[in-house]
Amino acid sequence: MASNLGFMSYVLRAVLFQILVFHLLHTNALSIGRVDRRNEVVLSQDSLDFLLTNNKAWAAEVESKHPGFFNQSAEGQHPKALWLGCSDSRVPESVITNVLPGVIFTQRNIANQVPPNDTNAVAVISYAVEHLEVDRIIVAGHTHCGGVAYCYDHAAVLPKPPPNPLPPLPEPILNAWLGTLYAAAVKLLQGTPLSRDDGLAALTLQNVKMQVANVAGLDVVKHAWKEGRDLRIVGWLYVIETGHLQDLGVCIGPNGTACTTF
Amino acid sequence: MPAELIARLLDSNATWASDVSHAEPTFFPESTKGQSPKMLWIGCADSRVPESVVVACKPGDIFVHRNIANQFHPKDDNVLSVLTYAVEALNIDHIVVVGHTYCGGATHCWNNAGAAPVSPSLASDPLTRWLGPLTILARQQQSGPDATDAEKAIRALIEKNVELQVLNVARTSIVRDAWKKGRDIHVYGWVYELENGRLRDLEVSISRENALPM
Repeated sequence: MASNLGFMSYVLRAVLFQILVFHLLHTNALSIGRVDRRNEVVLSQDSLDFLLTNNKAWAAEVESKHPGFFNQSAEGQHPKALWLGCSDSRVPESVITNVLPGVIFTQRNIANQVPPNDTNAVAVISYAVEHLEVDRIIVAGHTHCGGVAYCYDHAAVLPKPPPNPLPPLPEPILNAWLGTLYAAAVKLLQGTPLSRDDGLAALTLQNVKMQVANVAGLDVVKHAWKEGRDLRIVGWLYVIETGHLQDLGVCIGPNGTACTTF
Repeated sequence: MPAELIARLLDSNATWASDVSHAEPTFFPESTKGQSPKMLWIGCADSRVPESVVVACKPGDIFVHRNIANQFHPKDDNVLSVLTYAVEALNIDHIVVVGHTYCGGATHCWNNAGAAPVSPSLASDPLTRWLGPLTILARQQQSGPDATDAEKAIRALIEKNVELQVLNVARTSIVRDAWKKGRDIHVYGWVYELENGRLRDLEVSISRENALPM
C-alpha cells in the first residue's frame, strides 16, 4: 500500500514536472526548443511531418506575440553578428543565445574551421562583412567536440617523435578538412603530458585561437580594417555541461591587433 | 552598438541556461554523453533561418550546415565532411536541404547573371566563385519562359536550386555507398517562406527506391 502510494506520488510528480517543463519552455522566449511530448523524436517520414507541424505552431505563436514580425523579416536582414560554429546538434546558436530569427548570420561546419582557402567559409564571411556590414565575428568552439576528439585520439597513438609525414586520419574527407587541427593535436601531444580531458580542453581552445587568427588573415577582413571599420573577431566556448557560453578573452580587432570583446 | 549586442548575447545565454537547468536539471549533463540527432539540415547562412528555432527543436535534435544559398557543391570539402560525419559517424538517415524566400544569394545571382564572368566558378573573388553554380542556374532560367516577372522568377530559382542540391547530395558516393549497404537514407527539399515563417516540402525527395542509377 505504502509502495503504491509512493509510486503514484512519483508518477504524479513526473507528470507535473513534464507539464512544468513544457509550460516554462513554451512561455520563455519563443526560440527555446520545445520539449517533445513523446519521450523521443523518432524520425521517419511521419516525424519530418512532425517538424513541419511544429513549425506551423511556432509560426502562429510568433505572429500572435509579435504581429508583423514575418512581414518585416521579408524586408531584409540586419544581423548583429556572424557565428562560425560547429555542426554539432547540441550547439544551435540562436537557441542557446535565445534570440529571434534575424540576429545571427551563421556558418556551422565540422569543428568550427575557417581554412583560409575554403571558398565556402570565406564566402560566408565575405557576404557578412561586405554586404551585411556585420562588425562582430564569433568563432565558437565547444566542449565534447567530435572533430576535436577525432584528431586528438588519432594523434595520441602516434609514436614520439611522430612520423614525418604524418599518417593521414583514417577517413579521407575528414583528413582533408581537419588537417591543421590534426597537426595541432600532434604538436600539443609533444609537450607536457596531459590527461585526455585536459588535452581535449587545450586542443579545443587552441582550435578557437587558430580559427580567430585565420579569420583575421582574410583579405575581406583586412580590407574592412583599412576602411576604418571597428570589426572584431572574438573566440567563445560553449560548455555543453552547463549550457553556458564563455568569452575566452581571445579578440582580434582593427589592424589585426588584440582587443577586448566589449 | 555592436559591443553591447555581443554582451547581451552572453547575458541572454546565461538566463537561458539557468532556465533550462531549473526546468530540466538532467538536460545538460545528459547532453555530454553524446549527440544522436536524426536529421542533417543543409540550409542558408541567412540570419532569419535558424533551423532549431523555426522547427522549435531542442539542442541535440538537428545536425547543421549553413552556407550562402544552401549549396551542396560536389567537391566542397566543407560540406562533404559534414555529410560524411552525419551519415557515417552519426548514422543520420534524413537529410534536408532547405532554401528560403528572399534569399540574398539567389537574388544576387538573378540580378547579376548577365554581368558575372563567363565561368563564375573560376573567379578570383570567393563569393563569386561560391555562387558560380547558382549563377549558371539563373542564366539557364533567364533564357527560358517566366523570365520577365523577376519576383516570380527568383522564387522559381530558389526552388530549382533546392531541387538541384537534393540531387547533388543523392549523387555523392557517401549516400550511394550507404544505399548499397542497405541504409534507408532519404534526401528532402524544403523551402522556408520567411514572410510567414512557414516551411514547405517541395516534394523533390530522393531515396534509395526512386534514385536514378548512375
